[in-house]
Amino acid sequence: MNQAPDSTAPGNGGTFDAQEAAALLDQTARQARRQLQPSPPWLLVTRAVMVLAALGAIWLSVRGQHPYRGPTAADIPVLVVFIVVNFAATVGVRHRAMAGVQGRSRFTQSEIAVMVVAWIVAIVAILVLAAAGVSYSHYPTTLLIMPGLAWAAVSGARAGWRKSATGLAVAVTGVAGLFAGSAGAWLVAAVGLCAIFLVRAAITARPQRA
Amino acid sequence: MMAMNDDPLDPLIHVPARLKIVATLVALPDGDTLSFTRLQDMIGLTPGNLIVHLRKLEEADYISSEKTRNGTASVTTVALTAHGRKAFGAYTQALRDLLGGL
Repeated sequence: MNQAPDSTAPGNGGTFDAQEAAALLDQTARQARRQLQPSPPWLLVTRAVMVLAALGAIWLSVRGQHPYRGPTAADIPVLVVFIVVNFAATVGVRHRAMAGVQGRSRFTQSEIAVMVVAWIVAIVAILVLAAAGVSYSHYPTTLLIMPGLAWAAVSGARAGWRKSATGLAVAVTGVAGLFAGSAGAWLVAAVGLCAIFLVRAAITARPQRA
Repeated sequence: MMAMNDDPLDPLIHVPARLKIVATLVALPDGDTLSFTRLQDMIGLTPGNLIVHLRKLEEADYISSEKTRNGTASVTTVALTAHGRKAFGAYTQALRDLLGGL
């Protein structure tokens, strides 16, 4: 390869003083972190607001039910919109951030399989509990326990302790909902998940030394 | 702007283009690599210019590169080495020391 002298054009090469270097370093580091972040703070905050609005709206509609009958037909579209928008935004942002990135940050086939199986097991368990007449099957938070534990295990295995803690927090939210009653579990899920996303957003947005 | 002695700053990193390259690669989690095209897109250098600067960093063992075949196309990926991370850490510390002395 040909050796080319360093250009003196700004942004290309040439020497510059320490103040200019510090400014360029700060700007580049911020830009890189923002562009390579698969879960940026704005997405986490949006997710927090959406989960609070969607699950909170369902709690408002079911809290007066005696006996508990579950979400009404009007609540289902809210839940579906939340799940679809959240999934699409997550996949879209992650796809853009991870373009050209290879290595440990990418999930392996086995890690994806563990998460898929965890969701399937959680859904099947809910259906089995419902068929057996167990009241916990009507609690939305019950669904969070298994995927939360699976996420904690997958993240822990790759030494992602923050993500592992997130998974455990989701599982704890799921367990806490079991003590809140069938209607109250919606509020626990709304507040618990909202808090988890906000804490993650705050940690992600925390300034880092270059 | 105030003149200062920049000698403590690693000359291999203390060039705008290479500082941008290293500062971008250090944002990757350990064990990850970045494709040449994504890196070029992120820092806005021409391919020729980027190759020249990557070669200088690779010769100093600050970065490693790997070319893999993906079907008919070949993909070049780059990553900061442990030596490169250490050098960048020393560079940022030297920069702090210099600016702290203002």
